[in-house]
Amino acid sequence: MIAGIERRGRSRARSGKRREKIWNVTCFILLVLLAVIVMFPIYWIFRSSLMSNAELYAYPPAFTPPAWRWENYSATLQSFDYWHFLGNTMKVLVPSVIGAVITATMGGYAFARLRFRGKKFLFTLCVGSMLLPSMVTLVPLFVMWAKIGLVNTYWPLILPHFCGGGAFNIFLIRQFIKTVPRELDEAATIDGCGYFRILVFIIVPAIKSAMIVVGLLKFIEMWNDLLQQVTYITRRDRYTLTLGLNIFKGSFNDDWSSIMCATCLSFIPGIVFYLIGQRYFVEGIVMTGMKN
Amino acid sequence: MEKVIKRKSKYNKAESRAAYICMLPSVIGLVCITYLPMIASFALSLFSWNGLGNMKFIGFDNYVKLFTNDSKFYGSLLSTLKYAGLSVLGCMIFSLIVAMLLNRKIPARGFFRGVFYLPYVLPAMAVYLGWKWLFDYNYGFLNYVITMAGGNRIKFLDDSLMVTPSLALIAVWLSGNLIVIFLAGLQNVPRVYHEAAEVDGANGFHRLIHITIPCMTPIIFYNLLMSLVTNLQVITPALSLTKGGPGTGSYYMCYMLYNKAFNSHQYGYGSAIAVILFILIAIFTAILFSTSNGWIFYEGDDKE
Amino acid sequence: MKKLISLLLCLTMLLTLSSMAMAEDTRVHITFSFWGDETEAQSVQANLDAFNASQDRIFVEPMQIPNEEYTSTLVSYAIADQLPDCGMVNENAVLYFARNGVMADVSTMYEGEALQPMDCITFKDAGVPVGYSSCNEILILYYNKDMFDAAGEPYPSADKPYTWDEFIAVSKRLTLDENGLHPDDEGFNPEKIVQYGCFVNNWTWQLEVWALSNGGAWFSEDGKECLINSPEAIESIQKVADLALVHHVAPLNVIPEDNGVGVGIGSGAVAMTTDGTWRLGTDFPTLGINYGIAPLPVMKQEVTSCTSGLTGVFAGKHQAEAYEFVKWYTREESSWDSLVLTGIWMPKSEYYYTEEGMKEWLGNDAYPFKDIETAKKVLVDYTMNYAKPACWYFTPNTQITTNEILFTALQPVWSGEKTAEEAINGIYEEMVEAISME
Repeated sequence: MIAGIERRGRSRARSGKRREKIWNVTCFILLVLLAVIVMFPIYWIFRSSLMSNAELYAYPPAFTPPAWRWENYSATLQSFDYWHFLGNTMKVLVPSVIGAVITATMGGYAFARLRFRGKKFLFTLCVGSMLLPSMVTLVPLFVMWAKIGLVNTYWPLILPHFCGGGAFNIFLIRQFIKTVPRELDEAATIDGCGYFRILVFIIVPAIKSAMIVVGLLKFIEMWNDLLQQVTYITRRDRYTLTLGLNIFKGSFNDDWSSIMCATCLSFIPGIVFYLIGQRYFVEGIVMTGMKN
Repeated sequence: MEKVIKRKSKYNKAESRAAYICMLPSVIGLVCITYLPMIASFALSLFSWNGLGNMKFIGFDNYVKLFTNDSKFYGSLLSTLKYAGLSVLGCMIFSLIVAMLLNRKIPARGFFRGVFYLPYVLPAMAVYLGWKWLFDYNYGFLNYVITMAGGNRIKFLDDSLMVTPSLALIAVWLSGNLIVIFLAGLQNVPRVYHEAAEVDGANGFHRLIHITIPCMTPIIFYNLLMSLVTNLQVITPALSLTKGGPGTGSYYMCYMLYNKAFNSHQYGYGSAIAVILFILIAIFTAILFSTSNGWIFYEGDDKE
Repeated sequence: MKKLISLLLCLTMLLTLSSMAMAEDTRVHITFSFWGDETEAQSVQANLDAFNASQDRIFVEPMQIPNEEYTSTLVSYAIADQLPDCGMVNENAVLYFARNGVMADVSTMYEGEALQPMDCITFKDAGVPVGYSSCNEILILYYNKDMFDAAGEPYPSADKPYTWDEFIAVSKRLTLDENGLHPDDEGFNPEKIVQYGCFVNNWTWQLEVWALSNGGAWFSEDGKECLINSPEAIESIQKVADLALVHHVAPLNVIPEDNGVGVGIGSGAVAMTTDGTWRLGTDFPTLGINYGIAPLPVMKQEVTSCTSGLTGVFAGKHQAEAYEFVKWYTREESSWDSLVLTGIWMPKSEYYYTEEGMKEWLGNDAYPFKDIETAKKVLVDYTMNYAKPACWYFTPNTQITTNEILFTALQPVWSGEKTAEEAINGIYEEMVEAISME
């Protein structure tokens, strides 16, 4: 009798295995299909960048460029000031990312480890700010920066990131610090370390990957932003890539093949940066638990 | 007496000082970048101000005008809700499915993860420009496929009813970050649960319904909340692609705000729209939170 | 250590040098803001260099701002009290700036000058001149000669414009589906059109001309009344929309950008396009299309719109110097090679529209449109006889009324979801309120 049950169990396990195999293959095919669909627009933009305008407007559209016109790129680079725009983008991005990482780490540390009056209140304010629509502050902030006379400089884009880098990032860091064993700081305290020394020499090395994640998230956030840049930067010599693309579209609105070239060119830094950072993304986010 | 000592010991002076220094940037940010401007926005909404002239206090006239003599306000409200609804739903379903597919033992997982994440790291402006070309009515690829299949061309971006679904489709395409967060959550679902269920003979579907989804509810909630707040504030597609059109089809509230304030120089009026948007988002957040206890499953040890 | 010292020395030297250079510069520095793309930026810089070299009291620095954000940027500078000293102003912002005291007075600007700007390009607030356009641009019809030849159709006449019905008829003969059929043919497939007969630019301000052509108007001449709900104005909009929706002779363009040539003739798939004369210089030289020009088709009466932004002086502390520069800058002479002879600008002074003045630009070998006979009729005579100022020359708040309210409201008309009448009636009240806003 016992043997009988076992046999049935095993055959069930076997048929389950087969079913799982079929299921696995189906899932994989589905995944490949979805991946192709997701990649297609990028391919289409790319192939459009290698065609002349006449070929673009032709009917039916060609799936691959009739002639691979790489010269489109050199032509586009003549009128699209790519390196200059990219440099400007970095002038905004790099300080912002650094500022956000540092101040978010400080805030996260205070929330995770330190006891102080008003902690609960500040915590609530932080959570609240995550839910408050940032759009609501657009007009007053603009007026504020305008009154100070900083419109058309990078400060309105950079300075806010030196203010904690956003509640989400503070929580992310806090969550990470909580996974660092308290015994480490206690041991350090006994050795006579102050709170800042603990932060710098114990906490920071332990949460490096979280700080990288914060940096990457900040990078993407700003990389994707159009509104703030449109609002604050209007001098051409200070244009970022996004704004350069916007004006490029405006001034060459007939020339779609150039626009597509410029679009592809602006894809590159994002892709490169993702390839460098992708290892940290999932890893980092998994570790936070994200259950705050 | 004892209490006082406790108090003192609870807030160690050096510790407090360190904490306040650490919190300083964040507090400045919260006050100057978030809460004060928000209050200022409420105040500004009671004024009429064209940027150049003097501010004039007009009470609630801006709100009255919004609700009674603005041909676009209701259309804008509706479009915003439609966009948020469609893209939140689309993004959640799509990214949950992709995340679950990615969570299986498959070859080249890192590669696939990269593929789905890629759209998210491209500059939004560039993405919308590219999609504009795909959606084009006269020369676009999608309409070519549709006419090849014998259908009539669709005015993806040129029809006030189609434009929001079309833009929501782009939002779904861009939902790589949700995928990563879901994936992270899936990897946090304790293996023991699955193993136990397997021993009990539960099949894949049962495990999905009874283990994976319940364990994922906190993350689903988080993603839902955050994408709702973000998507109600949609502006980039309108700014870069449709200029709010056709009609009010993509005249989302944030775009309306931006347009009224920065293009038409009605700063007070724009602020009034911001306040309405704020209330709208607050309502949705409240609704979401009030239902959350009913469907979110917390692991015992996770409550703090 | 040595390195450090040498570095310090270098720095000190640099500082001394630069401070010496600064000390030498006693000129008044003023800023000049302008919009435009890279090519325009270069030509502006060339002009500034010429001005800066021509005298030693004033030094002008450029400030480039993109077209779309131009006015809002200036407003943000005004809030910060950091306006440039002078600059271009968008047509739809002239009255807004003038009424809020941002623009300096222009009443004596052309006093005693030999060249006087034309009246049709003078901005007036309640009849008082507040600014003069930098140049003159009118709307004309461009056509693709090769497509007309292929269809065996005679070119549009420079003397006798098409009536609207003729325009539609010719467009139909030039429209082809993938089987070579025309819109009235049996079996014509409007889903698969490969060549369109025409495209009438529906970028909002360019539509006003059709209301005038149809015997109506958008606003009364004192700029106080909104007339856009008149049957003539509504009908004119519907007629333009019907080109694509009913007659299938034009491509759909629901969310217009300022891209008439791009959607139209420039795509290589459209035979005729209406657009502004600046396209002669900005687009056609590089498009590689064998094109001709003609007056606009006529609904009831012959008319075209003229427009152009202006270069003005902003109220501020260097007003006198800015004035001097602007006077210099806005002479045709100053932008003769870079803007007039390239075909981007038509001159603003009446003299250049006379028999002899005309020869100076149209007759110049550098001018991109070579057929002087046609150019005289379509550019010069057309301006003198039929050009009317666009609404923003005399109507306040056009940014809100036409660029915003009307722009959005008309999109469902272009897509065919609403009739022009429904759309206009839906916004009339709002337009009326907006026009009288402070």
